[in-house]
Amino acid sequence: MNKIIFHIDVNSAFLSWEAVYRLRIRGEKTDLREIPSAVAGDVKKRHGIILARSTPAKKYGVRTGDTINDALKLCPNLVMVPPHYDLYESCSEAMMEILKEFSPCVEQYSVDEAFCDMTGTVGLYGSAVVAATLLKDKIYSELGFTVNVGISTNKILAKMASDFKKPNMVHTLFPEEIEQKMWPLPVGDLFFVGPASKRKLHALGIHTIGQLANTDPDILRAHFKKYGEVIHAFANGIDLSVVAEEAPPNKGYGNSTTIPFDVDDGSTAKMVLLSLAEKVCTRLRADNVMATVVAVSIVDIYFRHSSHQMTLISPTNITNEIHKAACKLFDRLWDGTPIRHLGIHTSKIVRGEVYKQINLFDMNRYEKLSRLDAVVDTIRERYGEDSVKRAIFLKGPVYHMAGGISPEKRKPMYKEGITL
Amino acid sequence: MKMLNMPVDVIATFNVQGKIRPNYIRLEDEEHTLQTFKIENIVFSREEKYAGMPAIHFCCNIIRNGCAQLIHIKYHVKTHQWVLVREG
Ligand SMILES: [Mg+2]
Repeated sequence: MNKIIFHIDVNSAFLSWEAVYRLRIRGEKTDLREIPSAVAGDVKKRHGIILARSTPAKKYGVRTGDTINDALKLCPNLVMVPPHYDLYESCSEAMMEILKEFSPCVEQYSVDEAFCDMTGTVGLYGSAVVAATLLKDKIYSELGFTVNVGISTNKILAKMASDFKKPNMVHTLFPEEIEQKMWPLPVGDLFFVGPASKRKLHALGIHTIGQLANTDPDILRAHFKKYGEVIHAFANGIDLSVVAEEAPPNKGYGNSTTIPFDVDDGSTAKMVLLSLAEKVCTRLRADNVMATVVAVSIVDIYFRHSSHQMTLISPTNITNEIHKAACKLFDRLWDGTPIRHLGIHTSKIVRGEVYKQINLFDMNRYEKLSRLDAVVDTIRERYGEDSVKRAIFLKGPVYHMAGGISPEKRKPMYKEGITL
Repeated sequence: MKMLNMPVDVIATFNVQGKIRPNYIRLEDEEHTLQTFKIENIVFSREEKYAGMPAIHFCCNIIRNGCAQLIHIKYHVKTHQWVLVREG
């Protein structure tokens, strides 16, 4: 049986979410979505950039990533609002909850995007288009913002489909529609083709996705190596990856992050692992549990997924111990291909007081580290996550507690409650 | 004209089923002094979750200057705040 995959994408996510908050929670009368407006990082600093813009602002030529100055030149009456990342997390969470009502298998892809495996749900909701329309309308009526839903038989095509005309639309892109709906598009629209690859493809005379699809894979391999094969497959609508549902939350504690740059050296990767371990262990300790199994997963720049796990001698929730295990796993697992995504997952959770198998060589360390972690947790709880950090993170490119929404996006936040 | 949802003081009862009923509300009168009004009856209530923030919306009647007046108030479940959405 063919699979049915949905890709759900919030329309101008940050802007829509700001708009809903202002309309429905604060009770303002203007809908940011209906006027030229943008969410902009650090409006006071000149260097801030546009993070999201409304459709009317788009008509002025304002693009995501423009500097505030450039945007104001294009559209002098642009209304700019600062970002509120805790609001986005609340909107995102609520949407994922609705998606999980519709599909048993949901993969959150980013804060405002998710894949749902809807295979076999035809008896529940009717055809895929009917189900998608129902889903999108439910999100709008309950949460107040619009989404696009792309439907196909795999993830890449579903994702391409949700990017067609916006907002508030359902699109299909089944394999038999590729030629008509996807091949005429510019090659830069293909998922995974960035500006640099686009220029390189143009130089080869490849301007549309269709041209890419019909290029001899050997030529692409010669110019792009493995990446050439990947984009050639994508252009032909081939994607074998499955909707990867996360492990149920109570069975283990995990954390993963997409790194803003490709990591090609082991020491940076281990720094990322440390920041992930920091967060995972904080959560383990907060719940007063320990983990017995540690797993590390890597997604490389070709979207290949690999993972490896090991059982510890005795359960732990100490950051250093989990990190040490993660590094050992990483060394066994990594083949040197640049990395874009790293994850740590812990399982076989044991609760409460555990008899610790003390290793002869570091028995003092265990006591010390465990007390150290407890103190750090208390300080962070009282004075914020950033009040204490390991020196290794001071100047590095990696945030000291990775995962969730990336730190540069974390502040400022809406205070608890209604700000007036 | 009222622009924003205004936080208000409310006295409410919570029954054993977890049902919430606002009983009294404190509003400003024309002279900007606070007055307490009894909530006479609830016309309807509904649960909302706009922007992922759960709230219960009540449309109810108070008696003001001898006549019944409709007001809309919301209880924010996460922050335990009551806000006045609109009067009339
Ligand atoms: Mg989006």
